[in-house]
Amino acid sequence: MMKKLYRYLSPLLIAALVLGSLPVAAAPASTDSGLVSTQEALTTERVQQDRERIHEVLARDDVQQQLVAQGVDPAQVEARVAALSDAEAAQMAEQLEQLPAGASVVGALFAVFVILLVTDILGLTDVYPFTR
Amino acid sequence: MTPCPIRHHANTLRKNARAPGVLALVLMMLNIAGCASTPELSESTSQKLPQQTLLEEVPFHGQRDYQCGPASLAMVLNASGVPVDLDTLIPQVFLPGREGSVQPEMLATTRRHGRIPFVINGGFDALLTEIDAGHPVVVMQNLSLPTWPVWHYAVAIGFDREEETLILHSGMEPERMTSFTRFDATWARSDRWAFIALPPGDLPATTDAKSALEAIADFERVQGAKAAIPAWEAFVARHPTQAMGHFALGNARNAIGDSQGAIEAFEDAVKADSGLAVAWLNLGLLHRELGEGDKAHEALQRGATIPGAWQEQAKEALDDLKMGGE
Repeated sequence: MMKKLYRYLSPLLIAALVLGSLPVAAAPASTDSGLVSTQEALTTERVQQDRERIHEVLARDDVQQQLVAQGVDPAQVEARVAALSDAEAAQMAEQLEQLPAGASVVGALFAVFVILLVTDILGLTDVYPFTR
Repeated sequence: MTPCPIRHHANTLRKNARAPGVLALVLMMLNIAGCASTPELSESTSQKLPQQTLLEEVPFHGQRDYQCGPASLAMVLNASGVPVDLDTLIPQVFLPGREGSVQPEMLATTRRHGRIPFVINGGFDALLTEIDAGHPVVVMQNLSLPTWPVWHYAVAIGFDREEETLILHSGMEPERMTSFTRFDATWARSDRWAFIALPPGDLPATTDAKSALEAIADFERVQGAKAAIPAWEAFVARHPTQAMGHFALGNARNAIGDSQGAIEAFEDAVKADSGLAVAWLNLGLLHRELGEGDKAHEALQRGATIPGAWQEQAKEALDDLKMGGE
């Protein structure tokens, strides 16, 4: 019963959200006189499709959620995402998931320590300050 | 992608080393060693640059824990005249879940503080050229090997070509000297990612026109037209043949109510490139708004003849104009 309800409800919600955010994407900085903004002209120069623009708007929402999940203060999230360019927002949405976790990986194995020690001495890496 | 290293994990490693591991390591070493070499400067850069430079006025902020990102940002922002402190920057750019800061947010936070982040693409030549121009450079390094990355941000503030050393504010260490070779090996692992933070009106010594244009446009999106105008003016002065620069200046001027200045800039844009339809379109629309029908007609007509994304809009505006005139 609920599943059936969701099946109808979800597309409607998605459509509503997408439509709701469209004007933001279509006219980011247009002025009263209807002039074409620089940002708009630059994106059009890149032959960008509307589909990609929608993608970028959704990317910002996505990044907001991801930042909160990463422990960023929710009060800060909106301002942080607002300062990203469209391309950066898209990059964040795609790449944050693929990030390797933490630096603590180094130091897990003695072999790794030895390798890095030698590469440090060879001048290929810069992990241990006492090698210089 | 950017946890900063903390330098005290050496003691914890006292486990098993085995023969196969050692063998693998030796093979790897031979393999990697082939890649390291001292970065060479091009002939022209080599002649222009002094033997040594140090930007002594760049303040140092020691990183806490993994927070080399906020620390590096504080240094370049302070150096460009923004008196922001580390405690303000940490919640703005640090990602607790990743124990580091990511590149897009380093650029975004620079924008929030009213500075334009220009990513520097020209490798070692560009790095030294920017330092020589007085611009401290935030660099991203992988201090370790690609398999066990230790991502790190530092600020390059000087160099000594005779000694072949680069001088960096890095981690807990101000004015740390690193050999060109070692630095380049660690920097290459981030694809030599680097950026500088400049106040609107200053331009990088190295970046190409297109990257600079996009950097300023991204800044304008966040900080608004008024803040961006000095940057656009500097851009058109440096690159007078770039029509998009004049176009952008026109838009910024129009946004703050300087219609006459905007018209001049749009005219410069179409002078620089008569095929830039969007500039004809904006010129026409602005003339129309100012009630200058003839000039509007002329500009829109030019715009309507150029095939592309703006042709339809120019035609429509032209039709509107004719209807209004009758």
